[in-house]
Amino acid sequence: MTDHPSPPAVVPSPLTAFFWEGAAAGELRIQRCQACGTFIHLPRPVCRRCHSFDLRGEVVSGRATLYAHTVTMKAFHPFFVSRLPYVVATVELAEQAGLMLMTNVVDVAEADLHTGMDLVVTFEALSPELTIPVFTAASSIGASR
Amino acid sequence: MKSRRVAIVGVGYSRVGRHTGLSERHHAAQAAIAALDDAGLTAADIDGSTTWGGDAIDFAYMLGMNPLRWHLNVGVSPAFVTPAIHAAMAVATGQSDTCIAFRIMMQQPSSATLASGEAMLGATSSEDTQFLYPFGNFSPTQWAGLMMNRYLYDSDATEEHFAEFASIQREHATRNENALQRTPLSAAEYLAAPYISKPLRLLDCDYPCDSGSAVIFTTEERARDLRQPAVLVDAMALSAVHDMNFEVMADMSHTAPVHCAEQLWSRTDLRPSDVDTAQLYDGFSVITFQWLEALGLCEPGAAGPFIAEGHTRLGGSLPVNTDGGACNVGRRHGANFCIEATRQLRGQCGDRQVPGAEVAVWANAVGPFAGAMLLTST
Repeated sequence: MTDHPSPPAVVPSPLTAFFWEGAAAGELRIQRCQACGTFIHLPRPVCRRCHSFDLRGEVVSGRATLYAHTVTMKAFHPFFVSRLPYVVATVELAEQAGLMLMTNVVDVAEADLHTGMDLVVTFEALSPELTIPVFTAASSIGASR
Repeated sequence: MKSRRVAIVGVGYSRVGRHTGLSERHHAAQAAIAALDDAGLTAADIDGSTTWGGDAIDFAYMLGMNPLRWHLNVGVSPAFVTPAIHAAMAVATGQSDTCIAFRIMMQQPSSATLASGEAMLGATSSEDTQFLYPFGNFSPTQWAGLMMNRYLYDSDATEEHFAEFASIQREHATRNENALQRTPLSAAEYLAAPYISKPLRLLDCDYPCDSGSAVIFTTEERARDLRQPAVLVDAMALSAVHDMNFEVMADMSHTAPVHCAEQLWSRTDLRPSDVDTAQLYDGFSVITFQWLEALGLCEPGAAGPFIAEGHTRLGGSLPVNTDGGACNVGRRHGANFCIEATRQLRGQCGDRQVPGAEVAVWANAVGPFAGAMLLTST
C-alpha cells in the first residue's frame, strides 16, 4: 500500500471520452466538425462556426508552438506537491490558427523555454488509469523519430 | 421606454478583515447600513436589490427593504461591475427608483489547505475542468501566470515595472486608513517575494479577506435632494469575448477589456484624455496594465513604462487605484474601485484626493469578460 495521493479523477462524458481514449492509446485527438472542418477545443456539442452537431475526435499531428507558459511554484492539489515546480502551458496546435490547448511542457529546462518554440506531443501516465498528453521540445525528439 | 439618468448616492463597506468569522448576511447588513447612512436614505426607500454573493431578496428582506419592485442575483461575471450595471439599468428603465447593489466575498481556503487535500476545489473533474485539473491547473493564479508571461512577451513591460506598480499602490494605501496593508513596500521587496506561478508573484495577487460592499443607485433627479454630492453614471459597458476557459484564449494580451473599452467610449462624448482618475481592477496586477492600454489611457503595450514614469501615482498625470487597490485594501472584488471613484468625485478622499477630479473610470475583470463604468461629478 502507498499513501501517495492520486491524480485528479477524470470522468469522461460522451462528449470528452475520445480525448482520454486517445491519450491512453498514445494519440492526441481533438474534436472536429465533420461538416465544415473546424477544430474545436474544449469539446462542445455543436460547431460554433456552422452549428452542425456532427462532431468527432480526430487524431492531429501533435505539433504545436508555445504560446504562454507559467512555472507553478505552489501546489493546489496533493498529487502535484511532489512535482513542483512544473510548467503549465498554453500551446497553439499546428492544425488551425488559434486552436489552443492547455497542457504541460516537460523535459525542457526553464531557461530553454521560449515563446513560439516548436513543441511535439508526448504522453505521460499519471496513474494506471490516467494518461495525459504533454509537450516537449520538437528539437529534442526530431532526431530520434 | 424612456431612459432616466442615474446617479450613485450611497456607498458602504462592512467591517472588512481576514477571517472575520461573520456570515455573508452580517457583511451584507453592515455594508447596506453604511451605504444608507452615507446617502441619508432609509430601508423603505430601497425598491431594488441585486448581488453577487448571497441572495438579493434575502438581504433586502432581512434589512426591511420590502417589497422589492426589482431584484436579481448575478452569477459568475465580471466582479462587482455586473450587479452595479444591472442596478443602474434597473433605475434607468424605471424598474426601480432606488436600487442597492452588493458584492459579498468570503475569504477562500489558503493554498496550503488546498495542497493538503483538506479543501478540494472539486472532487471530480467536470466536462471542462477535466482539461485543466489533470495538468495541475487549479488556481486562477495559474491563468494569471500564463497571461502575465504572454503580456511580458507582447508588451514593453518588465518585471521591474510590476515591482514599481506594487510599490506605488502600497504608497497609496498608506494614505487610506481602511486599507489592510499599509506598510510601505519597496520595489526590491516585491522582487524578493516568492513566485506563486512564475512570473506571477505573491504581491501581484489581491489580498484575501471577508468583505461586504454596497452601492446605492437612484435617479439624477432624486439624487439632487440627498445628502451627498451626486455622482452621475455617464456610460457603462459589459463585454464577453470567450467562454470561461481563460487558459485556451488565443490572445491573452488583448482580452475583453479591449472590446469593453470600445463599447464604453462609443456611448459617451468624453474621451480618455478627460479622465482625471482611473480605478482599475487588480485581482492580479497584469489586469490593471491591460486596462490602462485598453481604455486608451496610455499607448498600446506601454502600461509598464507609463507606470514606471510615475503617471499613475497620486500627483501624477493620471492617479490610478488611489485607495491602494485590492492588493492592499483586500479583495472586495471590484467594489472598492466603484466606491473609491465615487468618493474621489465627491472630493472626500482627504490625503489621497485627486484635486478637482470630475471624471473617473472604474473597471473590473479581464480575459473572457469585463465591465466598466464612467462616472462624472456634474
